[in-house]
Amino acid sequence: MKKRRTRTAWVLLLASLFLGFCETSTVLASQATSYTYTLDDNDDFVRTQDAYLPERTITDLGLKNPQDLFIDRENMLYIADSGNRRIIKYNIHEGRVEMELAHAGFTTPRGLFVTEAGDLYVADAGAKTVFRFSKEFELKEAFEKPDTPLFSDTNFEPNKIAVDKNGNMYIIGEGVYSGVIQLSHTGDFLGYFTVNKSKVNFSEALQRLIFSREQLENMLDVVPTTFSNVFLDHQGIIYTTTMGDFRNAVKKHNTSGGNMFKETVFSISENIADIYVDMQGIIYSCSTTGLVDVHSPSGELIFSFGSNQSNMDVAGLYSSLPSVAVDMDGNVWTADGDKGYLISFRPTDYALMVYEAMALYEQGLYEESMDKWNEVLRLNQMSVLAHDGVGKAYFHAGRYEEAMEHFKVAGNRSYYSEAFWEVRNAKIQKVLPVVFILVVVLFIMMKVVSFLDRRKRRIKNAKEAVSAQIAKLPVLRDLQFAKKICKSPSNMYYEIRRHRAGSVVGATAIYAIFFVIYMLYQTKKGFIYQYVAVEDMDIGGIVVGFFVLLLLFILCNWLVTSITDGDGTLAQVYMIPAYGSLPLLVALFLITVCSYGMTYNESFLLTLMLLVGAAWSIILIFLGFLTVHDYSGRETVKSIILTVIFMMIAAVMVVIVMIMCEDLYEFLYTVGQEVLRNVWNR
Amino acid sequence: MSGTGKKKKIIAALVSAGLLLGITTVAHAKTYLPTGRDTKLPPDKVTYDIVKLDAYQLLYETNTMRYYYREDRDIIAVEDKRNGYVWKTGADVAFSADLTAAVKAAQTPEEKAAVAEPKEASMNATYVGIANSLVTVEYYESDTIKNISSASKDGVSSKLVMLNDNPATRRLDVDFSAIDLQMKMYITFLEDSIRYEIPYEEIAGTGKSRMASVLLTPFLGASGGEAAYWNPETGEYGENEKKYMTPGYVLVPDGCGGLIRFADNAVSFTEYIGDVYGPDLSTETYYTTSRNDAVPLKNPVMPVFGIAHGDSQAAFVAYAESGAEYMEIIVRPDENKKVKYTWGYPRFEYNLSYFQVYNKQGAGYFSMMAEPQHVDVSMTYTFLEGDGSDGKSFAADYTGMAAAYRAHLMEQGVLTPLNKQGDIPIRLDFIMADAKNGLLGNEQMVVTTAQDVDDILNTLVQDGIQNINAGLIGWQKNGETLTRPDKVKYSSKIGSSGDFKELLSKYEKQKIDISYSREMATINREMTGYYNTAAKHVNTWYVEVDESMILPQNVPVANFSRATPKKVAAWTKNLVEKLKKTSTSITLDGISNILTGTYDRDGVDFSITEAIALYQDTLAGVKNDLKVNLVNPNMYLWKYTDRFLQMPVGTSQYVFETDTVPFLQLVLHGTMEMYAPYSNFSFYAQSDILKMIDYNMSPSFILSKEPSYYLADTVSSDLYSTEFAQYETLIGEIYNSVNSVLSKVSGYAWTDRTVLEDGVILNTYQNGQDVKYVVINYTDHTVSWQGNEVGGLSAEVISGEGVR
Repeated sequence: MKKRRTRTAWVLLLASLFLGFCETSTVLASQATSYTYTLDDNDDFVRTQDAYLPERTITDLGLKNPQDLFIDRENMLYIADSGNRRIIKYNIHEGRVEMELAHAGFTTPRGLFVTEAGDLYVADAGAKTVFRFSKEFELKEAFEKPDTPLFSDTNFEPNKIAVDKNGNMYIIGEGVYSGVIQLSHTGDFLGYFTVNKSKVNFSEALQRLIFSREQLENMLDVVPTTFSNVFLDHQGIIYTTTMGDFRNAVKKHNTSGGNMFKETVFSISENIADIYVDMQGIIYSCSTTGLVDVHSPSGELIFSFGSNQSNMDVAGLYSSLPSVAVDMDGNVWTADGDKGYLISFRPTDYALMVYEAMALYEQGLYEESMDKWNEVLRLNQMSVLAHDGVGKAYFHAGRYEEAMEHFKVAGNRSYYSEAFWEVRNAKIQKVLPVVFILVVVLFIMMKVVSFLDRRKRRIKNAKEAVSAQIAKLPVLRDLQFAKKICKSPSNMYYEIRRHRAGSVVGATAIYAIFFVIYMLYQTKKGFIYQYVAVEDMDIGGIVVGFFVLLLLFILCNWLVTSITDGDGTLAQVYMIPAYGSLPLLVALFLITVCSYGMTYNESFLLTLMLLVGAAWSIILIFLGFLTVHDYSGRETVKSIILTVIFMMIAAVMVVIVMIMCEDLYEFLYTVGQEVLRNVWNR
Repeated sequence: MSGTGKKKKIIAALVSAGLLLGITTVAHAKTYLPTGRDTKLPPDKVTYDIVKLDAYQLLYETNTMRYYYREDRDIIAVEDKRNGYVWKTGADVAFSADLTAAVKAAQTPEEKAAVAEPKEASMNATYVGIANSLVTVEYYESDTIKNISSASKDGVSSKLVMLNDNPATRRLDVDFSAIDLQMKMYITFLEDSIRYEIPYEEIAGTGKSRMASVLLTPFLGASGGEAAYWNPETGEYGENEKKYMTPGYVLVPDGCGGLIRFADNAVSFTEYIGDVYGPDLSTETYYTTSRNDAVPLKNPVMPVFGIAHGDSQAAFVAYAESGAEYMEIIVRPDENKKVKYTWGYPRFEYNLSYFQVYNKQGAGYFSMMAEPQHVDVSMTYTFLEGDGSDGKSFAADYTGMAAAYRAHLMEQGVLTPLNKQGDIPIRLDFIMADAKNGLLGNEQMVVTTAQDVDDILNTLVQDGIQNINAGLIGWQKNGETLTRPDKVKYSSKIGSSGDFKELLSKYEKQKIDISYSREMATINREMTGYYNTAAKHVNTWYVEVDESMILPQNVPVANFSRATPKKVAAWTKNLVEKLKKTSTSITLDGISNILTGTYDRDGVDFSITEAIALYQDTLAGVKNDLKVNLVNPNMYLWKYTDRFLQMPVGTSQYVFETDTVPFLQLVLHGTMEMYAPYSNFSFYAQSDILKMIDYNMSPSFILSKEPSYYLADTVSSDLYSTEFAQYETLIGEIYNSVNSVLSKVSGYAWTDRTVLEDGVILNTYQNGQDVKYVVINYTDHTVSWQGNEVGGLSAEVISGEGVR
């Protein structure tokens, strides 16, 4: 997400210069003019099958700075032709202007809304008035600034408007930070329907903490982000859009003004200017930068399309996009604000299937929705939305294993976990008696064997002999020693201190094993607990991080203990963490293995394992330092704190050196390039 | 056109002309509102009077044309003797200052009225000069581009001289003294055509180095305009009035072909720029290019455009015979830059401004090439008239333009007829493998093995589809993205050398042609080092294309470059050498449609002109050994193309492009196999199937055995859906729908295409005396044509006898 946003400015800059280059991707002949994006399983934007194709371009209406579009139940398109101070009623089906309204009182008509009864409301910021016209475009009423004292300090420059069936008006006012102005049908001020909370970012919070009162007063007031638009759907639900954030820029409000979306609603841009909701509750919003987002009724981002290209007049690429509306056939209508023409898009079969499947699922028709989702998958096997939909449909139908497959592709871990719980439950029930019998039989057999062996002790002796042999093998011997450390750390570390046990080779082997297990833990856990897939990981970073941290810790600790009279040698400091890491090593291994068999319900077990393993290892290592360096507890804590500080200093130094090296490399590279060019002409 | 051919054409044209009115709509559901993706009804008839050419001097006359010249305004007038229509290479308008002076100088009202020509609105002296000119030069002056035309008011002198005492060959010597540039433009008058040639070597003067481009006859065929007319009563010029707007359109080779109809626009549009054969990344302003959320524009694959006036009355088609790789086709719709005309012309680029970068951070400055690109311009304008029913000429519309261009290419030996009959072919490409990031380096994601290809083809053959040709994409070890194009290294997980050999030979026996497929021109650093391999920009940095905006974040590589032409050619030869023992054909991408020059400190190292010659030579060699399948090839490779894959079916969809027409298909029909874009990706709807029938294209699919979500983290992540199990039925359905119509006209010549009503197309086919019609009904209601009913969203073949 961030990647896309941060690149946008740069891309826009360059794109204006060279868009028309050759394609390298496999799919050549897209009929769309912009790519359709959706969210993948990591909530990153990825391209997907075309959802909308440019359909009609209407360039002959002579529009000047059109600011708002609205489509009524009879499929009539209303255009707030702000620059020409008029409203146009356009017949979509017949492709002609039906009526034109150029009221003398209009100054900058920027917002309009048509009620079910056919009344046309026009918000005119310049005229500081909301006009109400009849279906025949006769002026019925004009609402000016409410005269209540509550509103006396506030500007009344209505930009956008929505009207409910009782005639209550919801108005976005220019420069009004308090919220959405709500007026009664008689024009009385009823209050603010909903407000945006002001947000303070980290630097502002820091400034507040340390700035003097004077400095604070000089800072600009932090005001809430302003609403950019308001819409009321056929069920009377109010929607608003907010500028300035790509998270939760689209809100669906309950009657008390609260946001009904529970999860974060993502938009592709932070400049959301307009919103429209169709009869199915699908939400369309557009950003001034030329992008149209489509969200499901529950706020999931389904598609995003469009592009910002001011230097070429290609349908679907905008210089500015102030408004979006959707007709009764599902076609999306947009206006290019700067150029003054209209562009409509028709949904592809793919988009229609997605909407249909979603509607069926919402209605609880899981079987039917499953069929539809499968059709969607036929056209796009990468659709996270479709895999999720099919998965849920299978889940509700009790087909858990199939559900799991789809949840896995969709990256839906919580549902996968639930489906897995069911599958595992069924399996456990199936195999439990067998396992139980096997355990009992095994137990009895062991008892019998040890009973028979009690005299001659052949098996027991053999076991001990094997143990003795193991104790002689290099790596296994060290592991056994580590095991002993777990049991009695002080004694065993004392052995190290006395150079009677432990070896650098052994410690290195343990580090190697630890590294392998750590990498398995990082990359090979079961799907539920493997939050980041291998292909999304920075493997190099993990590996380098592991070794750099370890070496830095050992080196810094040795340096610190050398100047604080620690007795340990570098080799011993190297050995301490290795021999103490066994509990963590075992915990990581067990977590990796168990993650395949556990659902989210048992996640506490894995957390517990990790905590126990980590705490145990930390205690061991702590005792190791205490013993080997012959420190008191206080001295050990001090030396570890100093080690950490040293590590940080060292890290900063390394970074500085690296930057300098890079600069040097850059310099040499540039010189080299010049030499190559000038001398050898390469 | 042979004599009998002419007769046949007459019959067909007469019949179809007479029959057009016979369309009736049986049941209306909803009005079909055509969009820019449709072809609309022909424009209105143009009304014209006999033009007085008093100010002109007759230069040359042929059986069909008279060529005149107006010295003072630098305009050639072409009178078509067949219908009396007069084309002027310029707008033939006076400079405003000259008019004012002339009026002032005239003594009597009658004299004033006589000299007071209409005064152009919306055009200053520079534009009037351009509007009249035969040739206009754009040149750099510090950071800006300025114009000077052969008909400029100041700083230019031009003289037309006859060559070799032959009135048909002339030379216009233009001295752009203002910028010290001398140019010689050779003009040849042909039977129904004019040819202009500007040899690079004959351009002289210090101005040569800052010459940005040359525009030829920019106002030929322009329509619209606004002028003030002399009012004898008031003795002054009146208010500005709109001139008669000639109905018609400009044909542009945008994708498959687009029409820009003349219109009185309410919006100030930007212009259409068609960069012929696509941009050369080595001469773009910057050496790095970033792909973004906008789909790239469709590049013209042929250097041709045309303008039609009226409904099948008068038209010309213009094509470059030399210099095409430096050519842009530009159309400026009415209101572009506030000019009230719609005008279209070719622009040849010489020098250009680019950003010279001097460090890795990208700091630099703007610079110009030390030496311009060597462009030898040769443009031919062929004039057409009538609806083609006389059999003497091609129709004066886009079908006639296509026929004229096709005839030219046939004459040149670029296109040769392909006599094929029977079932149409189907193209099936298989995506086999691509790479994603793995724990230890990259991991190969295999979605189709050689065995899978065998199974899938076997299934389809059993389903009754026989005429198949297939391509294998990502057959090399590590798949398509990370393997150097010429490397033939197999992976046992995809298929061993033996597996492929067996597969190919097995199907060769069944006449199913399977080819290895490979993109040859796009490279990345994971695939190969760039030294001596990647093309260098004019600023001597390696050309770079950043695709990270359109690829998933976790793909192994998102930065690409272009291989130098020499590498592309060498790799192609190398690959073919290695594969020709096992395969009978090869599928190539990149070499087919990407042209990138390469530069060094001294300037051009290998130009795109040289690249074209090298690619032609390479593919001529390949064609000796193998059948050549090319992905969207440019015109210079058509001679070597057996199958044209991924043929464009639409335009770039400029808002002022009013129609989409199958111009490319009309040019190529019957000379090579033509394949539609993959039906997997937004080309699967019923209207798309109809488009294949309408445009005469065979269907194509890209398939895999495994679901395509295994490719989600690879560069092939735009293959959203490829699993064969999902497509088996659809392949049959689409193939049968298209084949049921097109197989009946297979081997026939496609002679005409007409719009019967909005959304209803009539294609005419002819084979000897046998005429067949295909009615394609894109609307949702049934239409009846000549007593034959065609259901909504369907197509029917109607034989000549079936037409009453």
